[in-house]
Amino acid sequence: MTTSFKLSLRRGAVVTGKWKHSRYRVERLLGEGANGKVYLVHADRGWCALKVGMDAIDLQSEINVLQALEKQDRKHTYLYEVDDLFGPDGKEYPFYIMRYVRGVTISEFLAKNGPEWFPLIGLNLLGKLAELHRKGWVFGDLKIDNVLVSDYGYVELVDYGGVTAMGKGIRQFTEIYDRGFWNAGSRSADARYDLFSFAVLCMMLHEPKKLHALTGGLPQTRSIEELERLISECKELSPVAGWLKQALAGRFYDASEGAEAWRRLLHRRDTRVKGSKTPGWLKGLAAVSAVVLGISLYWLLRSSI
Amino acid sequence: MKQILLVTDGCSNVGMSPVVAAAHAKAEGIALNVVGILDYGDVGELGASEIEEIARAGGGLSRLVNMRQLSQTVQMMTRKTAVQTIQLAVQKELKQVLGNGSIEALPPEKRSEVVRVIDELGETSKLQVALLIDASASMKPKLRAVEEAIHDLMLSLQARQGHSEIAVFHFPSSKYGEDCKLDLDWTDNLKGISSIFTKFPMSGTTPTGPAIMQVIDFYRQGDYGKKGRDDETDGMMSDYVV
Repeated sequence: MTTSFKLSLRRGAVVTGKWKHSRYRVERLLGEGANGKVYLVHADRGWCALKVGMDAIDLQSEINVLQALEKQDRKHTYLYEVDDLFGPDGKEYPFYIMRYVRGVTISEFLAKNGPEWFPLIGLNLLGKLAELHRKGWVFGDLKIDNVLVSDYGYVELVDYGGVTAMGKGIRQFTEIYDRGFWNAGSRSADARYDLFSFAVLCMMLHEPKKLHALTGGLPQTRSIEELERLISECKELSPVAGWLKQALAGRFYDASEGAEAWRRLLHRRDTRVKGSKTPGWLKGLAAVSAVVLGISLYWLLRSSI
Repeated sequence: MKQILLVTDGCSNVGMSPVVAAAHAKAEGIALNVVGILDYGDVGELGASEIEEIARAGGGLSRLVNMRQLSQTVQMMTRKTAVQTIQLAVQKELKQVLGNGSIEALPPEKRSEVVRVIDELGETSKLQVALLIDASASMKPKLRAVEEAIHDLMLSLQARQGHSEIAVFHFPSSKYGEDCKLDLDWTDNLKGISSIFTKFPMSGTTPTGPAIMQVIDFYRQGDYGKKGRDDETDGMMSDYVV
């Protein structure tokens, strides 16, 4: 359910904080999450991302998570500033300023740079999840849109709206990536919840059409077995098929255990050699572009409903 | 926290106004959410505005959705309304302390503390959701989606730290009988329940208002029973305090 959020900031508009009076010049819209919109803005300190929320409580709840994370890890700055702004409609909206993360989605990255980057990106993503798990948090809403990849497969998680303390109910999720949706377990935050979503994300990268087709069936028939069958049928996923099935079944204790197992696969010769021959690479590229087109069409259709 | 979630696809056409009934629910401290299902229904302009008004009178949220979005909508509305209920209570307290009713008006640092309390209470307080399902003829093809949404809601509620229960009603009960029928009494688990709606006499009437009143009664009886066991006078009192 995306609540219609009418506030939109124009390029060139200058936003001034109500409490701290900092000024930000809006460059463009970067994305939209369940709790609000994210803009690229220019401030005295340079480029930053500004997230403006439609609901003060919802956005503050997300900010509280970021503040709690920051307290645990002084090296990492999640929040630059928290304030309120006056929208073009004269109403007040809460916002916060964070680091601007440059990057593209995994599917865009693979389409541009080649599918042989997939195992490394997977490993880096597991590393990011492992950091959160170590601190007692679950990312929650892991999906293609919430992961950005930059040069050399460097990965960043974006949109912390779903981040949940372990043991609580997952705050935000997307059905197709949700363990509960597949009748594969609870919606309580534990590390295995993220690993389940990670496995679905891998499938989404390679077999989005077949995966979406599975969601059309009866809820009772949705199961891990259906997902496992899809993994077995997918050639690109065969090097990690066993790993994915274990993740779906919740066999890894957390992301660092999962990452360790993934790394072992990575250094097997057959995983690395896959897709490196030119014809295969070209085929892969074509397939991935089709996949990207599929995803874009799907999201386009979904958002237009 | 008490909620009623009304799932319907059209206008009420029998008995008292559902808006009045919804206002009664609010007066009893029950938040009323309404979901209108759009697929081959007759929601229309009239239905849409009725749905919105019922929710407004009932202090809840309203949404018009397709069957595909039903599960996600139901669980998000329930969650959001629970937070709102807590928020209202906290705001009331704040008014006494600060003379300032609105959390939005607080500076970000103070807001952060208040929201932490709201989140914590929202996650740990007891929550009851009575689902009231319109079972008039046009809803028949949508009931599978409704059942799915109920199972999905249970799953989300089970992940909360506080105790959560649901009950399920459908209306009308039969052509001549009561306004709504209890399909499932308070439960915190749907394991083993494959079909919530078994025998459904599909009828044309939609007594939304009377059905809401009956669910309010159900809540009150439950309260009465519980309070009566703990403290007799308290139970007696609650009957008069409206």
